[in-house]
Amino acid sequence: MSAVVTPNAEFTVAGARRYDRRSPTRWVLAHLARFWPLLLLFFVASTLTAVLFAAVPRLTGFAFDVVLQREPDMRALLVLALGILAVVLLRGVLDLTASFSIETLGQRLERNARDELYQSLLGKSQTFHERQRVGDVMARASNDVRQLNPMMNPGVALITESFNGLIIPLVFIAFIDTRLLLAPLAFEVTFVFALRSYMRQLNPISSALRRQFGLLSAGLNQTITGIEVVKGTAQEAQEQARFGRDAARFRDFFVRQGLVQARYLPLLLLAVAFTGAFAHALWLVSRGELSTGELVAYMGLMGVLRFPAFISIFTFSLVQLGLAGAERILELMRVDTEFDEHAQAHTARVQGELVFAGVGFRYQGVPNARAVLHDVSFRVAPGQTVAIVGQTGSGKSTLTKLVNRIYDVTDGRISLDGVDLRDWQLASLRQQIGVIEQDVFLFSRSVADNIAFGLGPEVDRQAVIAASTAAQAHAFVMALPEGYDTVIGERGATLSGGQRQRLAIARALLTDPRVLILDDATSAVDSATEDAIQRAIYAVQQGRTTLMITHRLSQIRRADLVLVLHGGRLIDHGGHAELLERCPLYQRIFARYD
Amino acid sequence: MGFVLDGLAAEGYDREYSDGQLLRRIVRYFGPFLPTMLVVALSMFLVAALDALLPLLIALGIDRVGDAPPEALWGRTGWLLGAIAVAGVGSWGLNFLRQWLTAKAVGNVVLQLRLDAFEAVMARDMSFYDEYSTGRIVSRVTADTQDFSTVVTLTLNLISQLLQVIIIALILFWINPRLALIALAIAPFIVAAALAFRRVARRTTRQARRVLAEVNANVQESITGIGVAKAFRQEQAVYDVFKGVNAQSYALNLRQGLVFSAIFPILGTIAGIGTALVVYAGGASVVAGAVTPGQWFLFVEAVAFFWFPLTSIASFWSQFQLGLSASERVFALIDAEPRVSQTGAVAPARLRGRITFEGVVFGYTPFEQVLRDFDLTIAPGETVALVGHTGAGKSSIGKLVARFYEFQGGRLLVDDHDLRSLDLRAYRRQLGIVQQTPFLFSGTVRDNVRYARRDASDAEVVAAAGSIGGGDWLEALPQGLDTEVSEGGRGVSMGQRQLIAMARILLQDPAILILDEATASVDPLTEAQIQEGLETVLHGRTAIVIAHRLSTIREADRILVLRQGEVIESGSHAALIAAGGHYAQLYDTFFRHQSPDYVPEGLPGA
Repeated sequence: MSAVVTPNAEFTVAGARRYDRRSPTRWVLAHLARFWPLLLLFFVASTLTAVLFAAVPRLTGFAFDVVLQREPDMRALLVLALGILAVVLLRGVLDLTASFSIETLGQRLERNARDELYQSLLGKSQTFHERQRVGDVMARASNDVRQLNPMMNPGVALITESFNGLIIPLVFIAFIDTRLLLAPLAFEVTFVFALRSYMRQLNPISSALRRQFGLLSAGLNQTITGIEVVKGTAQEAQEQARFGRDAARFRDFFVRQGLVQARYLPLLLLAVAFTGAFAHALWLVSRGELSTGELVAYMGLMGVLRFPAFISIFTFSLVQLGLAGAERILELMRVDTEFDEHAQAHTARVQGELVFAGVGFRYQGVPNARAVLHDVSFRVAPGQTVAIVGQTGSGKSTLTKLVNRIYDVTDGRISLDGVDLRDWQLASLRQQIGVIEQDVFLFSRSVADNIAFGLGPEVDRQAVIAASTAAQAHAFVMALPEGYDTVIGERGATLSGGQRQRLAIARALLTDPRVLILDDATSAVDSATEDAIQRAIYAVQQGRTTLMITHRLSQIRRADLVLVLHGGRLIDHGGHAELLERCPLYQRIFARYD
Repeated sequence: MGFVLDGLAAEGYDREYSDGQLLRRIVRYFGPFLPTMLVVALSMFLVAALDALLPLLIALGIDRVGDAPPEALWGRTGWLLGAIAVAGVGSWGLNFLRQWLTAKAVGNVVLQLRLDAFEAVMARDMSFYDEYSTGRIVSRVTADTQDFSTVVTLTLNLISQLLQVIIIALILFWINPRLALIALAIAPFIVAAALAFRRVARRTTRQARRVLAEVNANVQESITGIGVAKAFRQEQAVYDVFKGVNAQSYALNLRQGLVFSAIFPILGTIAGIGTALVVYAGGASVVAGAVTPGQWFLFVEAVAFFWFPLTSIASFWSQFQLGLSASERVFALIDAEPRVSQTGAVAPARLRGRITFEGVVFGYTPFEQVLRDFDLTIAPGETVALVGHTGAGKSSIGKLVARFYEFQGGRLLVDDHDLRSLDLRAYRRQLGIVQQTPFLFSGTVRDNVRYARRDASDAEVVAAAGSIGGGDWLEALPQGLDTEVSEGGRGVSMGQRQLIAMARILLQDPAILILDEATASVDPLTEAQIQEGLETVLHGRTAIVIAHRLSTIREADRILVLRQGEVIESGSHAALIAAGGHYAQLYDTFFRHQSPDYVPEGLPGA
């Protein structure tokens, strides 16, 4: 296909920022860079907090020295105590500043990432949205975006704090006596190795434990959802054995995790280092090379190392999870689904003559994909109603998705008013093809807004009512608490499938498409509702070429053309009478109703 | 880390068990692990003692080094250093033992509790499953049993931290009561700050949770709506809405986040003020000769060491209550009385299928009776179609025959057995049920067909599936009988689920069949296959069909029209239509539009 790729997005916001999307890390950094003063503030405040944290034992050491000298200096002691007080208060302020900055950063990152993703989704083609599973997009837009915030706080916050907690005491110790670095350095080197090996052991077990919990719950969930079958067929023993197996396996993982956690080596290393440090310091004191105050300061600083030793694996996994989420968000934003569109694309008012000529379709990019449609050929005259009959998986909905080019044919051609679909301008084509899905999506807005959705906010109320009346919706809308101003979904204003469908029909009547695709699998419980639905469908069919997927025998009977699909092949098509005459499958459908 | 932040979502819970009862039962579950738990308790005590010993030994060391010449150093402090090493390593080792043994005991107790809970769930009758949602039952068996174990872990941790705090406090008071009072002066402030924070945080959480649910729903809607918005070119409009919602979400989350991130800086500052106080007062005491420098050091260290356990004591109570509530939910589940009770356990021989209701009285709740003095006899092999409005008692009749519910009066006989005298599992093997939305288990279609008779051979499975609707529905499944279905039946269509359920019944070969027909619409060809399958399944069995399909009613041996728990008309379709009674009305309301000849009112051709 030689054609021009539609450039960029279908929707952009003026002045929207562009971020580096080459890798998750770059993307997160690009977002953070926007708030660099905040980021800087966090790092400075966090580092200063750690400095002041280490300063307290140092000042305590000085206090020991002024007290233990031959002439104790009470004034100096008071000054040092006040100094400690000042340090503590300042530290509190800086600690708060650091916490608030990183928290704000995390929240802004989440907000802006969500905004960027949303804009990107709005910019994607309709094709993309038709193909994408809503649940999948939802998961990324909510869970993955939300994961960005804990990645910063507590994730990055704790890692920074721990890193500072390992480095800054060393600097203070070096200022007392560089020889004293021996024990803490030995500890820190072994600590890094011990921590890594700990995480390597714990990671697989923890995830196995989580997975097993999921399996256990899912299995139980299934047993209880299917309890009528379990009890009705007296299969309780089978279920009990399965649950017992799952629960025992969970116990095994739980105990193994407990064993690994109990073996946490860094704490043992700290105990050993502590003893060594004390011995080393005592030796220096006894040789008169270290004052008692310095000994006290040193031991206090060794105590500061206790905090990083407690750092939990969970801080690192938060960052990992955040970046993995960022990767999935990026994947979604990078997807490009634009169709090739002809340079001199055709635009015109659609009359509605639809011709399938040897149409075949198989999903692209799926290896060994079975062909969904083979060699489908038929012709629909303008204004005709076509009923498509076939089982699940026979290719009914794929066939309708070819008409508005959610997918492009892989064999043969489809033409509308004699022009190949691929030569139509996509926007012009789609504006004139209306789709009413099986699950009608309505916004939590007023009924009137939902009906007038396609025309924007400024729509004449009379037009809305007229469309709604033609769609047989007026009566039930008036029965809602506030009529057309009732907000859908609020205070019990929920609508049945049939009612939602009629609102969608009203919406279609207002936008006036030339070709209508209608997936009508709604089941009516009673004939009165059925009457209303069918009248609505009848109204919207008038003057439009209509492709209808329906289960209603009476509707199939009255269609101008019936397509009988079976396993992706059009096994027969024609009017009701002729099919009843010659098509065995069709006869089987009506066999019970003579 | 972060104990102060835990358990903020605790809710009030109406207790039916007293704390004492609950704790006794929890302890009873740990009974088999008594020796283990004794070792745990002992090592916990030793860990606390060793951890408290460490600063004391260092204090001694500081005092002893004093003016010792280098050559006398090791003589004076060697044993101290040895003791410090032993205390450090010993504390680690004992802590290892404690954690590992606790994990073992807790793992086993949780397993036992889960098995008990599961067994209790399986013993319940259907009324239980109506009352509680699946999610609630599952979380009781899996999550609540897990939380139950936190009561134990929490209590153990609290005791060990309390022990440490007490031992250190005792040592401090023993050395110098005045200084000890100064050092401990910060304790009430720490506890008060932690409690006050929890109050604020709990309020913020509660407020945020309510609003956040709404905001999240809005975000969700604005994302789900993108597809529709694009179809109608309303991108800018939905973007404007989204922007507002996103800003609101940001503001709320930020407020909550700021509250939470304030607590540790505040607690740290209070502890720091304590340090400054002790440095000054301790120095003065040293000068006055009341304490040694080493003891001064001990006091300074104690303040830094103290505050963290204190915060976890502040949060213990609500977490403990949370754990108790969880265990209460589990025990309530285990203790609930089943409502269906059997008087005997007769395993019936092959049933002929006569069903007799004699003056049966039944209601799902004591307040409303569905059936009053209900009489009905169904002959062996007869197909009875039940029709009537919702609530007329159609499905109740089926559920009573399946013995899913207890009835309050009268008798229910199958052949000549009183239903209450039968062994339920043996009886249900001769009973087939097809639900309105048939449930499928995750696995292959083959597994599902075989579910009721696990010993059936592959050939039998294939034969059963092939007998339903001519077997050509299997062609529509991507891998035939080996097609994977996920839980509940996703992956196959509603019509296919019904066909699979019928094949399952055919393989089970029950004497009695209860069939609740689907109301959902199915494509016409599958519908034809279902109707054909129905004929096969009904053949030679007593069947109660809760009918929603025109074709099914027309084929039934007898139609029973139910109204408010009473049979008001019975007979064949043609006879009942001719009679022009309630059935004729029902037909006009519910079944008329299913006919291919139906033309809605107000349309040309009507």
